[in-house]
Amino acid sequence: MADIGTEHSAAYHNAVPKKSFRSRLRKTWNHIKRDRQLLLLFLPCILFYVIFRYGPLYGLIIAFKDYSVFTGVLGSEWVGFKHFITFFTNQDFWILFRNTLLLGMYSLIFGFPFPIMLALLLNEVRNKWFKKSVQTFSYLPAFLSVVIISSMIIDFLSPNHGILNQMLAAFGFEKKYFLVDPGWFRPIYVISEIWANAGYESIIYLAAIAGISPTLYEAAKVDGASRFHMIRHITLPGLFPTMLIMFILKTGSMIRVGYEKVLLLYNPMTYDVADVFSTYVYRKGLLESNYSYAAAVGLFEALVAMVMLLSANALSKRLGGNGLW
Amino acid sequence: MVGERKISVFSVINTLILCLVAVATLYPIVYITAVSLSDTAAVVQGKVFLFPKGLNLEAYIEVLKNDTIPRAYLNSIFYTAFGTLVNLLFTAVAAYPLSQKGFFGRKFFMMTIVLTMFLNPGIIPTYVVVQQLGLTDSVWALVLPNAIWTMELIILKSFYENMSSQIREAALIDGASEYRILFNIVIPLSKPALASIGLFYFMGHWNSFFLPLIYLNDPDKYPLQVVLRDMLIYSAENDAGLVDRSALAPQSIKNATIVLSMIPVLLIYPFAQKYFAKGVMLGSEKG
Repeated sequence: MADIGTEHSAAYHNAVPKKSFRSRLRKTWNHIKRDRQLLLLFLPCILFYVIFRYGPLYGLIIAFKDYSVFTGVLGSEWVGFKHFITFFTNQDFWILFRNTLLLGMYSLIFGFPFPIMLALLLNEVRNKWFKKSVQTFSYLPAFLSVVIISSMIIDFLSPNHGILNQMLAAFGFEKKYFLVDPGWFRPIYVISEIWANAGYESIIYLAAIAGISPTLYEAAKVDGASRFHMIRHITLPGLFPTMLIMFILKTGSMIRVGYEKVLLLYNPMTYDVADVFSTYVYRKGLLESNYSYAAAVGLFEALVAMVMLLSANALSKRLGGNGLW
Repeated sequence: MVGERKISVFSVINTLILCLVAVATLYPIVYITAVSLSDTAAVVQGKVFLFPKGLNLEAYIEVLKNDTIPRAYLNSIFYTAFGTLVNLLFTAVAAYPLSQKGFFGRKFFMMTIVLTMFLNPGIIPTYVVVQQLGLTDSVWALVLPNAIWTMELIILKSFYENMSSQIREAALIDGASEYRILFNIVIPLSKPALASIGLFYFMGHWNSFFLPLIYLNDPDKYPLQVVLRDMLIYSAENDAGLVDRSALAPQSIKNATIVLSMIPVLLIYPFAQKYFAKGVMLGSEKG
């Protein structure tokens, strides 16, 4: 058969006589004819991915053009790397770079252990009812929108009536303007991130723990291992592959910090620590209609994200994990 | 025995920590609700901690009398219902052919679809596409650009793959078309899976604020989250001393709106959380 893939297949294909090519074409045509109903069902999916997923990828060429709504993507003028050069030589660049990286890194470093610890603690609970209740409550925040979560943050930290400032006042401290203080922006962002995500992410770790063979625990028990020993020597090593996968995924998305929350929480006084690539893209592109420039910034962000994902994957493989691919 | 006592001490501490976790997650929600039910004066003086002070429904009556919020609420319901329906239809119809072993070009299609999970062009190019198609300021701008979530498509596809192929073969022999098999057999049989992915779509639409913010220009079309965001920005700027206090919606009204926006979520939560955990698991296995 001509279509069995071998190392020589390329050379072989060139040597295939015309007749065989035609018969393959006919075979393909018959395949299409046989699947015509399925293909018709699949058409909306093809259109969706072509227009809304690959279309914007093609649309990235506006990063190298001077796009305007009137000239369109194709009609606008090529300008090469102009927007990239403007961006890299802009004094905002380093501030944005630092903010994005720090916010992403803090979320990753401080946010990573919480779901694991929560899963470990939940796993040690013997009372099923209690375990289920805590679990149910813990992923409730995953159902709340960013707007609501940000709203709660603003409420709690409000200097006028916020509960935290009242507690500070009760202990004789001065009122703090948390949300306009640049020093507080990152802690607030990271803590609220943990609050919103720890429960939800613990589901994955709990399932991974459930997948660890019970015979390991039984054998350890016979040998007189304590709970801490079992956590240290059975559960944690058993969780390691899951942790690696989560780590890769999180590193890949690190640079895309939750810009929605930043957008809701920052203000001119905290721009210096809070402004990240995505919020900059939003302001330049959508508020100031500087599409091409913003697309260039977005493309740079996407490339950095890709590099980080690839390096995390390589690192995971070096550590003996599987990696994503 | 020493070992036994150690274990019980551990259990007590563990229980305490987990209780703390539960309280920490629930408290903000309880607090918001308490404020929404309290007297404005008590809120301003900061007397509300856990239970409403001067229990009344004034804030809710105020919210319902106001014409922005009820309209935004109806908009949200419409966008969510319509959007989820479109999502489910697109996903189900796309997952079915992909789940068939001999489907033409299956490998190629799967590869190009999965690839999009790693290639993210960012918001601007997508915005340009939506703008060039003339979808801006209509419900289609909120629905079509995310008609299929790749992760949910993969989940549903593997669910279909695990369904018995004998029913389909029998139906084909009986002369049924693929459309009939999909809509009369496969979709009714996959209700649990559809409920699971439908939940994610539902939450996505109900909680979405960025897409309506960038795609809708007419304030009459704003969903609840965008209206909430406007109230929020005002209160944040007030805290920063950037805005005149009189321009500000009272705290209790803001919180009443938040509670109203959480109601649909809290109503489906008891049913949803079962599917939710399942969905997260399926997603992570495939991811």
